[in-house]
Amino acid sequence: MRSLSIAATGMLAQQKNVEVISNNLANMNTTGFMRRRTEFHDLLYQNYRRVGGTSSDAGTIVPAGVQIGLGVKMAAVYRIHEQGNLSATDNTFDMAIQGKGFFQVRLPSGETAYTRDGTFQLNAQGQVVTHDGYTVLPGITLPNNAIDVTINASGQVLAKIEGQVALQNVGQIQIATFPNEAGLQAIGDNLLLETPASGAATQGNPQATGFGSILQGFLETANVNAVEEISNLISAQRAYEMNSKVIKTSDEMMSTAGQLR
Amino acid sequence: MENTGYIALSRQATLRREMDVIANNLANIKTSGFKGEKMMFIEHLVRSRGGDGLLGHKVAFVRDISTVRDYSPGHMEQTNNPLDVAINGEGFFTVDTPEGPRYTRVGRFSLDPAGRLVNLDGHSVLSQTGQPFTFGPQDTEITISRDGTVATNSGPLGRLSLVNFENPQKLREVAGGLYDTDQEPQRVERGDVAQYMLEGSNVEPILEITRMIDVSRSYSSVKSLMDKEHERIRKMAEELSRAA
Repeated sequence: MRSLSIAATGMLAQQKNVEVISNNLANMNTTGFMRRRTEFHDLLYQNYRRVGGTSSDAGTIVPAGVQIGLGVKMAAVYRIHEQGNLSATDNTFDMAIQGKGFFQVRLPSGETAYTRDGTFQLNAQGQVVTHDGYTVLPGITLPNNAIDVTINASGQVLAKIEGQVALQNVGQIQIATFPNEAGLQAIGDNLLLETPASGAATQGNPQATGFGSILQGFLETANVNAVEEISNLISAQRAYEMNSKVIKTSDEMMSTAGQLR
Repeated sequence: MENTGYIALSRQATLRREMDVIANNLANIKTSGFKGEKMMFIEHLVRSRGGDGLLGHKVAFVRDISTVRDYSPGHMEQTNNPLDVAINGEGFFTVDTPEGPRYTRVGRFSLDPAGRLVNLDGHSVLSQTGQPFTFGPQDTEITISRDGTVATNSGPLGRLSLVNFENPQKLREVAGGLYDTDQEPQRVERGDVAQYMLEGSNVEPILEITRMIDVSRSYSSVKSLMDKEHERIRKMAEELSRAA
């Protein structure tokens, strides 16, 4: 019976859906995490009676024909780049982007990765780095005698130097935007890479047209909404159950046929 | 006279296919833009041999004449993805495939390496002038207005082609939420699309489950009919052989 395998594709799809939802829930407290959504597609269709065939001598035409779909497949899992909540940390080098854009990070391989996770620190050379020690681009080095740092909304890093009244501009944080953020490739550790689907990165200063602004002392929390995820989980479970009901019913129908004398 | 068996068989074969349709609806309960289908049955009348019997001239078989697609709108879901577009009301998007134009309600679009607006299978989404939408590297803010105009920070690019058909029931489904047809597409003049939204599946799980129960029960009642017929013939043969 075809309905057995059709329902099996449905169960597999919902299982994948639950996996995506559980990853979202697992990352509820991951800074800068963007929730994922599963996208499904229907599979091929089999034609039993062609659309447009005649159904009688009088030339009446079959309105739609008999088409039987063969189930469902997972088409894509894509990220939703919605602004997460901002939580105050009062940490000097914690930064959040309000609006569009990603921080740029130089990976050890020399590639540039993009992230919304602004938990930055200083390394031994006074450079602003991520918690993994990767340089934040364009490199910003603080002088040794700096006693305090202010980062303004447009990304200027202003250091207060011992014995000086005026703040010294020590660098400018640039952020990058993409035509299609959902096309970025996740590589773990809150990092994303540019892909052909995302389009090329456009660098710019925060607060410029089309770019978000920077908030010092804040972090962007995951944009996972627990209530929404749980309700998605429930509906995925129900869909899974319904598909298993189809399997059970198909099985009963098959056993009915088997009991014929 | 094996008619009872054949009639019962015609019913069981169609019920199995109806079960397949229900299974496909339920499997696609979470598929964007999916439209549920129903099976339509007709009587297939056949002149019976013997002609003047008590049953009259005709014996009625069952045939599944067609699957009817339910085009009612699915629920709208906000995704906050700038390249997700849902159609309010009638119409289909047009995408360009190697086999020719195909039509779809799935507005889950993306960009390909060349900066073209494509669907999940990488087919270009077409504008009203039949051209794909191509974005330049400097285009950051993509907006799609209610009338389907696609624009970026550097200006409008064109309008999404929204089309409808004289008889949407005649559209043939191909995989991936696309439809194919020989009918001439007619432009939807007053198209209404929503950016950041996706249309969900319009399958009503409760209805499908009740339909499934119905199919399952009908199937077993046909089986009991066949059993009874078998019993009747067996008894008749027994009685006759005893009489002989």
